[in-house]
Amino acid sequence: MAKDSDIIRSELPLRIIELKESVLEDNNKDAQELRETLRSRKTCLINLMSGPGSGKTSTLLALQPYLEGRIRWGVMEADIDSDVDAKTLLQAGIPAVQLHTGGMCHLDADMTRQGLRALSSITDTDLDLVVLENIGNLVCPAEFDTGAAVNMTILSVPEGDDKPAKYPLMYEACDLMVINKIDAMAVFDFDKEKVERYAKLRNPDIRIFYISAKTGEGVAALAEEILAQVTKWNA
Amino acid sequence: MAAVRTIRIEENVLADNDASAAAVRSMLTAAGTTMINFMSSPGSGKTTLLTALIPALKDEMRIRVMDVDIESALDAQRVADATGVEALQIHNGGLCHIDADMVARALAQYPQAVTDTDLLILENIGNLVCPAEFDTGAHKNVMILSVPEGDDKPLKYPLMFSVCDLVLINKIDTLAYFDFNIEAAKQRIRRLNPGAEILCVSAKTGEGLDAVCDWVRKACSEQMKVRI
Repeated sequence: MAKDSDIIRSELPLRIIELKESVLEDNNKDAQELRETLRSRKTCLINLMSGPGSGKTSTLLALQPYLEGRIRWGVMEADIDSDVDAKTLLQAGIPAVQLHTGGMCHLDADMTRQGLRALSSITDTDLDLVVLENIGNLVCPAEFDTGAAVNMTILSVPEGDDKPAKYPLMYEACDLMVINKIDAMAVFDFDKEKVERYAKLRNPDIRIFYISAKTGEGVAALAEEILAQVTKWNA
Repeated sequence: MAAVRTIRIEENVLADNDASAAAVRSMLTAAGTTMINFMSSPGSGKTTLLTALIPALKDEMRIRVMDVDIESALDAQRVADATGVEALQIHNGGLCHIDADMVARALAQYPQAVTDTDLLILENIGNLVCPAEFDTGAHKNVMILSVPEGDDKPLKYPLMFSVCDLVLINKIDTLAYFDFNIEAAKQRIRRLNPGAEILCVSAKTGEGLDAVCDWVRKACSEQMKVRI
């Protein structure tokens, strides 16, 4: 867990961007434009969404050894406040910027574009993969297309197997579903069959990966999926 | 099995929420009903906590529950089945929070929740962002932070921790499995909200629940004094 007083040992500067609220009326159109721009630049954008504390940042840290050397990647950490997540990633040597939404509960395509601009200002080369770590929230982020190529959601075992039934739009909007903290499976009543049934009821095409970002279990398979998505998008 | 009713409400964009909240609060106060708004992330244990808390209190006060969910009725049914109290399921059509006007309209359709109720519990949408921005008309706000979510949540969702009267650190039976520093969490909460009470519980094992019951009793008796 990150401490408030952590010192950044990375050579990359910690950059905090205060996002401006978008004035655009049509987010879907704007998102489509951003997606086309990213396709022509050969950058795959993954929008990573989940409830608070399900392990978005830890999952990215666990993926790093599998991605490093194979692709160039960076992360946009969105938060209402604080800079703990971007600091954590920078310490691990992952190029990252911290985006502050000023109280907003989600990011839209224009805010994502502001973040991409900031990220490209700290990295010299074009990135093959950018991960947007969205605000920890299972409701609002699902409603806003960010322009991402892939939407990915994390559900952690302690949150319970009923979440796809209670937050259906999130699971409809996502291509990939990661079930994290499987090392804690013995401590919680979590029914894999039930969670898959609820999720597939909403989205028959959703692909499900079981991992523990803590122990590393299942992370290699998730990394291979992400690399395949990047290859497909950037082809 | 106790009854579950489902009410669908939509957003009223013109409402002045603070005025609506004050009106709800004074109506409840006049009726002798104390309303407590429970907020948390998805899956931090609101429903489990309520199913443990309500049986311990229901012999000494009349309790009703309003559950807000986007479209399922899972929580209201769970509460009703486990506790035997009446639970009202409010569907808010995909919105990320509940505001005072939605509460007022739900109560207008369900007057017993005001007239025949000592403690009215609102189980808000699982979300640490938006519900914190809307006064629901409740007398007290409670937020639940569960151990698996991590002790850094007050840093990331400061408004939620600023608007609550009580923070419950839940799932303390799992402390051995997660890196959660209770002292660090408490310090971060107190920095945002020095007046908030902080209690550690496990809704699953029942540890710490007595103190939560006492807090609820105190909240209700304070409300009765205001009325008199």
